[in-house]
Amino acid sequence: MQLNKVGIGLIAFFGLAGATFAIVPILVGAPGEVAGILASIGVIWVLVAAGLYWYARRQEKKAAHDDWIFRQGLRGTATVLSAGSSATVNEMPLMSLRLDLDVPGHGRQEVKRREIMPVFAATRMEPGLVLPVYANPKDPSEFVLVW
Amino acid sequence: MADPSSAYAELAAARGLEQLPTFDPGPLTPLIVEAKGEPLHPAARGPLGEEVSGVVGQLAYRRNKTFRFHVALIEVPTATAFAPRVFCIRRGRSTRDDEFYGFEARHSKLWTESTALNERFEVSTSPYQDPNWLRQLFSPSFVDWLGTKPPAGFSFELAYGALLGSIEEDDPGVDGLAALCDATAHVATRIREECEE
Repeated sequence: MQLNKVGIGLIAFFGLAGATFAIVPILVGAPGEVAGILASIGVIWVLVAAGLYWYARRQEKKAAHDDWIFRQGLRGTATVLSAGSSATVNEMPLMSLRLDLDVPGHGRQEVKRREIMPVFAATRMEPGLVLPVYANPKDPSEFVLVW
Repeated sequence: MADPSSAYAELAAARGLEQLPTFDPGPLTPLIVEAKGEPLHPAARGPLGEEVSGVVGQLAYRRNKTFRFHVALIEVPTATAFAPRVFCIRRGRSTRDDEFYGFEARHSKLWTESTALNERFEVSTSPYQDPNWLRQLFSPSFVDWLGTKPPAGFSFELAYGALLGSIEEDDPGVDGLAALCDATAHVATRIREECEE
């Protein structure tokens, strides 16, 4: 779970191209209006790169936290109570799941979870399906759903 | 292009299978989803191995060319609670990558603990699949069997209790189809055994 080549490429493209647009016209002494337009585009692109980088770091931290829960967490089960989708991302349904979470020592609780899933997984999310979970021992409502 | 119908008829007669004109399995596994709703045609249903029943059929679909698989589908519902997804795909077979962003976590994780297995297959699972269960499933004897016994190109996908064994071949003949059924039934039995442990 880490930034892949596509992510690195996007950050590099927007960051380098943005910096080039912002700096080069000024260095080569381009007319003020042209330099201003290019610099504006450049700054926006650099901001996009910064935003992507921030998002990537956030995802990495989330993945690291999920890895910790997987290694140190309590193994339990989640029974699908209901599942539905009202949106797709890259042809994959964004599933809204209502789950009956059962973690040893913490009893049962009803929780909600949203996951983007491939079609073959989404179609199997039917009431009654039992999936493994790993829950944070200190806060079982924080859990990794194995699907 | 050879018509596999006669091989399916011969297989059905030899194994007591019910011949089906077509069979729509639904979007159960990635390979079936690739076919975008194409049914199995021809197909046959019945005992595929000892105490193992399922459906065997041809899955053909077009992308830039026509892909032609022969597949055996067996239900192993007890597997879901242990391993929602296990894909064991022969190296060299082109499959669609499941990454969709540059930043999101992958939907699957490669399992690379068995060198012997990884020489021939690419095994992927749910990102948080219990590694101990996988180690037990892919025991040395099972890895040895996978490397030597199944028909050439054999791969399998286990997704939410649906086990799909497959070979990519135009016309495997009745012997090839029988080998596909035997191999998939063997994998199903192995998975059931591990679930009962």
